Amino acid sequence: MKIDQNEFVTLGGIDRREFLAWGGIVSAAFLAACDSRGPKSAEKLLRYAERKNRVVERALFRHTSMDAVGPGAYDAGNKLPSYFISRTVPVWDESVRGKWALEVSGLVANPLRLTLEDLQRLPRVSNRVNHYCVEGWTAVETWTGCRFSDLAKLARVSPEAHYVDFQSFDDDYHESWDLESAMHRQTVVAYGLDGKMLEPAHGAPARVYSPVKLGYKNTKYLTKIVFMPRMNGGYWSDMGYEWYGGT
Amino acid sequence: MVASGLRIFNAYPAFARKGEMFCCYPFEHKPIPRWLTFGGWLGGARNWHFAMMWVLVVNGLIYLAFVYLHGEWRDLVPRKGDIRDSWQMVKFYAFKRKDHPHQGKHNALQKTAYFLLPVAGAVAVMSGIAIWKPVQLSVLTNLLGGYVWARYWHFMAMLVIVVLSVIHVFMVFAVDPYSIPSMITGNYDERNSPEARNARPFYHLFPRRQPPAPPPAAT
Repeated sequence: MKIDQNEFVTLGGIDRREFLAWGGIVSAAFLAACDSRGPKSAEKLLRYAERKNRVVERALFRHTSMDAVGPGAYDAGNKLPSYFISRTVPVWDESVRGKWALEVSGLVANPLRLTLEDLQRLPRVSNRVNHYCVEGWTAVETWTGCRFSDLAKLARVSPEAHYVDFQSFDDDYHESWDLESAMHRQTVVAYGLDGKMLEPAHGAPARVYSPVKLGYKNTKYLTKIVFMPRMNGGYWSDMGYEWYGGT
Repeated sequence: MVASGLRIFNAYPAFARKGEMFCCYPFEHKPIPRWLTFGGWLGGARNWHFAMMWVLVVNGLIYLAFVYLHGEWRDLVPRKGDIRDSWQMVKFYAFKRKDHPHQGKHNALQKTAYFLLPVAGAVAVMSGIAIWKPVQLSVLTNLLGGYVWARYWHFMAMLVIVVLSVIHVFMVFAVDPYSIPSMITGNYDERNSPEARNARPFYHLFPRRQPPAPPPAAT
């Protein structure tokens, strides 16, 4: 059989020069894309994907799925990072704002205004759970407070409420949640951390805490819990983190 | 997926739980160079990662279905003697052996790589799901040793995929560029195969001249 000599200098129709050219174009495109946010036109697609992911995530949610700390895990203690958006640690100044109280309102039959003492009188739970940060780290801490579901029961939430907004006095920080995640047994309105009263660095006087949501969903420096018919975004959700932020 | 994952990793370029040390990663708290990342910021990278993961999974499932339905998995599953054959290939590439070991569709090193790649892919997907839903799918997360370890396996699976892909693409150009068109069109001229050429990386890129056909015997 005779072999066509030309076959040896081409790689099946594409010669070496063309190959190098294509390689160059592909690598240039790759380098140009580095650390960019990607094309503007993709943002619509990304938002669409986020909405669809939300459907999947809500379908995966079970009230019976509990976070459990693995054997041998150490508490983070003072290694738990402190985070807020105000320029300095937000502290509730009683001399200016009066006594702190948590307002529970919105689609409820019985709106509440609870002082810290009122919250402490409600059935108390302590959960030693993981903190899942959006950045990828975890920290084990014990959170003490009252169950969110107990508050919801007290306030007699209307069946039209499907979302709940947690608002704070840390500037305009707030995050809204799906009601299921809020009603999860490990979701607490916490006023204690590791056996001590919550400190301003971690959201005093009270914050929402649940291992079923990423850290940024767990609003600190709580002022209001508002039950809503629709979702209401959130500080980080509006910036581009996933609104659902569930674990 | 890799570049956006590295951008996500850079938000906390370590594995240790807060207040603990991590045994098995020498570069804790050293971020990945920015030019290797994609997404611009953590939120952007997460959005890309969580959108493209579906493409990766669908693509992977199509690949597995195709390999299964076409029976081509037979060329990829590990068999007795693969380790010995792989060693012979290593010796050949290291000039410790003169002739290209006899092979089927793939040489033994290729087979190992093409078998490991889907395995690493599956580990990447599984560990990815485990760190996406560590509470709702805690069974999976615990199977991988918990969140911290699942995150580690996710990183390691990525490394395996990247290393195998880089070697694969390098070897395509260095040893068997004739296979490039056949990746798209099928068909492969065995006369150009690395075995026929006795090809090592950048050695014997061109096929051996065939000896002229003997003159027809006189009758």
